[in-house]
Amino acid sequence: MSILDDAPYMMLIVRRDAKMSAGKISVQCAHAAVECALACKKTSPRLFERWRNQGAKKICVFAEDLKELMGLQDEANHAHLTTHVVKDAGKTELAPGTVTVLGIGPATYQTMTRITSHLPLV
Amino acid sequence: MGIRSFLHRLTAPKTYHPYSGGDVKTVFLVNHSLKMGKGKIAAQVGHASVGVVLNAGQTHPAELEAWLAQGQKKVCLKCDTLEQMELYVGQANSKGIHTHVVKDAGHTQIPRGSTTVAAIGPCAGDVLDTITGELKLL
Repeated sequence: MSILDDAPYMMLIVRRDAKMSAGKISVQCAHAAVECALACKKTSPRLFERWRNQGAKKICVFAEDLKELMGLQDEANHAHLTTHVVKDAGKTELAPGTVTVLGIGPATYQTMTRITSHLPLV
Repeated sequence: MGIRSFLHRLTAPKTYHPYSGGDVKTVFLVNHSLKMGKGKIAAQVGHASVGVVLNAGQTHPAELEAWLAQGQKKVCLKCDTLEQMELYVGQANSKGIHTHVVKDAGHTQIPRGSTTVAAIGPCAGDVLDTITGELKLL
């Protein structure tokens, strides 16, 4: 196992039932990544630096619906991880206020697998 | 000048004029020739936007602040080749617009060091349209 396998990473969890195009998914994930990174920089700067230095890993997975997404957020909050829910402004494709992506982390491998290891990759 | 005001001049953050233009956005050019999966593209765009937020403040603080305040408008466009992408990045650089290029570490799907995504901006929307207006949405 190389050192990179143990690097902290960020999970970007996309709502499958929102049926977004690839470009829309990318943009929404970017929103989540930025907000999570800024929040983590404030609350746990050392973890943030370690995450950046080890490649700023990001992984995109699907959650089936809003209920599953909110459940995951509760679990992550319970584990004291940084979370951010992206609500779309509704300019394209979706209705205003639609929840599209949940960002969790950065967090260490051990903490994250407990919460998100069962989710399928995008 | 007193010693205290001298020290202050050395250590205080640089002042800048607040941004007074209109709509600010950032565009992400995705290298479509690499045939990345949706999730891979999303993660790469994520890399690019975090890079923009963390780096643009040094050279373009006014635009960055306006962009964050306006809700971080992001647009994904596709480029068919790497050369095309570099052309647009070059044009943006020559106009003094902030750019950020993402190179992949090569752990999954594609070879190490491939250029995956280039971010152009934050910058006024109409200026960006003159550079990347002809590209298709992803």
